[in-house]
Amino acid sequence: MDETGFWGFVKEDIKKGYSLLFENTWPLWLGGIFMAILALLFFLWNFPWGVTGGYLNWIEWLGYITNIKEEIPKIKPWLHPISVSNAGMLIGALGSALLSRQFKWQISSAREYFKGIIGGALLGIGISLAGGCIGGAFYSGVGAFSMGAFTMMIGLIAGAYIGLKIVLWEINNLAPPKTQVKNKKTSEGFDWKKIQPILGILVFAVAILIFYIYSGKDEVKTGGICFIGVLIGLVMHKSRFCFVRVFRCPLMTGDAEMVKTVCLSLLIYSAGAAVIKWGYLQPDTMGISHPFGLGTLLGGLIFGIGMILMGSCGSSALWRIGEGNTKVMLGIFCLSVSFYVSRYFLTKFDLYPLLGKAYLVPQVFGWGLTLPLYALFFLSWVLVANWNEETEKFVIF
Amino acid sequence: MSDTKSDKVLDLRGLTCPMPLLKTKKELKAMKAGQILEVWGTDEGSKKDIPGFVTKRKHELLSLEDLAEGYTKYLIKI
Repeated sequence: MDETGFWGFVKEDIKKGYSLLFENTWPLWLGGIFMAILALLFFLWNFPWGVTGGYLNWIEWLGYITNIKEEIPKIKPWLHPISVSNAGMLIGALGSALLSRQFKWQISSAREYFKGIIGGALLGIGISLAGGCIGGAFYSGVGAFSMGAFTMMIGLIAGAYIGLKIVLWEINNLAPPKTQVKNKKTSEGFDWKKIQPILGILVFAVAILIFYIYSGKDEVKTGGICFIGVLIGLVMHKSRFCFVRVFRCPLMTGDAEMVKTVCLSLLIYSAGAAVIKWGYLQPDTMGISHPFGLGTLLGGLIFGIGMILMGSCGSSALWRIGEGNTKVMLGIFCLSVSFYVSRYFLTKFDLYPLLGKAYLVPQVFGWGLTLPLYALFFLSWVLVANWNEETEKFVIF
Repeated sequence: MSDTKSDKVLDLRGLTCPMPLLKTKKELKAMKAGQILEVWGTDEGSKKDIPGFVTKRKHELLSLEDLAEGYTKYLIKI
């Protein structure tokens, strides 16, 4: 066998593979399938996937470190499962952005930062009412058969509608913000784009190392959560998977692609979750803590407005930060503070019982009826979205 | 391609999702068939959103170029 020929072939093949994986965006539907698989792995390994608990853990620690808060938070950030998974998502998205030569500090105009602050604050309130964000309470909620996810969906649609009305008002009534982007000097300076892929490989090497450190410290479960988080970050970034689009696009451009993607993804997620829950691989009441009723309706509504203003939701924020989006960084800080504060007041005034109770869908319909109902639900949603794409019946402008 | 004359320039630098797509949509609506719209943007997501929207609406994306000055230039024929 011709050695140089073989190694030459390998080199070419690796180049082709790299270009296929990292020079282009992955198809959205592929991202949807990967998301369902990873969410199921997450569920089997730990608990249905979500992100907001991690933000709460971080802001509690930040409050403690800066002496604003006196009591020590219960769980350390490197041992809190959702905090660890979020950190994994950040690492995965950063690695993916670097490998794709897409990392860039994205500077926004002042008004965009203002919208990030308001949007983040609304997201935090919505999360505390609904018991999670669009990824945890809606996506994982539907996937894990929580009744509250469906009331949240109604709230999210209404919220996205109001949010879009607000930004349309801004476009029509306020003067466009002044551009703050300074033209970069092109001739001098170090070309970061060239070494981004090498940094990307390093980031993923560190991610793997982190897993082995955890497993060496007898924390294999936490290490695994972190690594699944890394993969979720990679998949979400490469396919630019953003739950906001499910509710925004049908109203904004009529585009039905994300609705179809999420329905496909949830079909796989819920089928897998049915195997897990019906087969008692994990308790069937796992991951259904979202109140069915006022909490998710109102929470979804407020969250829906916030996600349009911030241009991101709780989970897609992590990959946008990994890519260098400064508006979302600011927004997530506000989300965390607002989540902490509104949760504090909901507890203090004992308002949680008013928000509604959590139910498992099969508790109401039985497993036998739940699964065909789910299939029918996804099919109808896709049909309505496709019809809307054709006729633009629900498109706002 | 960069020599193509545009009828209008839309500066969307510094705006983030969903503003670039919304403003592009609004501008495209106001323009006449055959005219060319030039869009400047810094939002990474727009590189997927704007071409997707433009082709779905049967307009033509003439070019998409990352400029050395740090922003992306789109040329769209209505």
